[in-house]
Amino acid sequence: MSTLSYQEKSLYGTLAADLIVYVPYFVYVIHHPTTLTHIVGTIILLIVAQIILQSIIAIATRNRITDERDRQIAGLGYRNAYFALVSMILFGMGLLWLHTINGELPINHMGLHFLSVFLGMTVISEIVKIVTQLVAYRRSI
Amino acid sequence: MGGIRNNVRALRAAHEMTQQQLADRIDLTRQTVIAIEGDKYSPSLETAFRIANVFGVPLERVFQYQDERKKPRKG
Repeated sequence: MSTLSYQEKSLYGTLAADLIVYVPYFVYVIHHPTTLTHIVGTIILLIVAQIILQSIIAIATRNRITDERDRQIAGLGYRNAYFALVSMILFGMGLLWLHTINGELPINHMGLHFLSVFLGMTVISEIVKIVTQLVAYRRSI
Repeated sequence: MGGIRNNVRALRAAHEMTQQQLADRIDLTRQTVIAIEGDKYSPSLETAFRIANVFGVPLERVFQYQDERKKPRKG
């Protein structure tokens, strides 16, 4: 019977940290204007959550080796995440351009809006990577 | 996976070795040994040789390749 490897546990930990930190942030951002403090605070919170979760997983796991299959699956994850990121950047740039020429987005809010949108893209790409890896592990690729 | 089949499970049983013991000998995780035994993952050439060395048999005793591509019809 196949139990979870260290890599899989670590991926679930990363996914949990991402969801715990980013879901409340993006729910807040949809209804309220974001600030630099919010963005920096969210990133710091994510780092703290990751350190705590990964430390617990590392302590609880005896075998912490990474082998060729882990690297191959990670490569698959990075490939899918790359395509997701590039697609979203192109789509996001188009949307920002449209909003700007229509005058819907004040130019002085552009920088912060950009920062929030790019953070969202990074988070989605990260989730695409993790989900790809978890699916690959479950399908025993 | 593809046309590669293996006898790792049978050889491991013959050597009275657990999946974890084999994994430790060849620097793999137990999950990767499980995937190899289930023909769901084809290891690298280097790992394949390492597995054969553990059992002390030639590579072709452990792994066999069968070309599953359809051959073009002649004429």
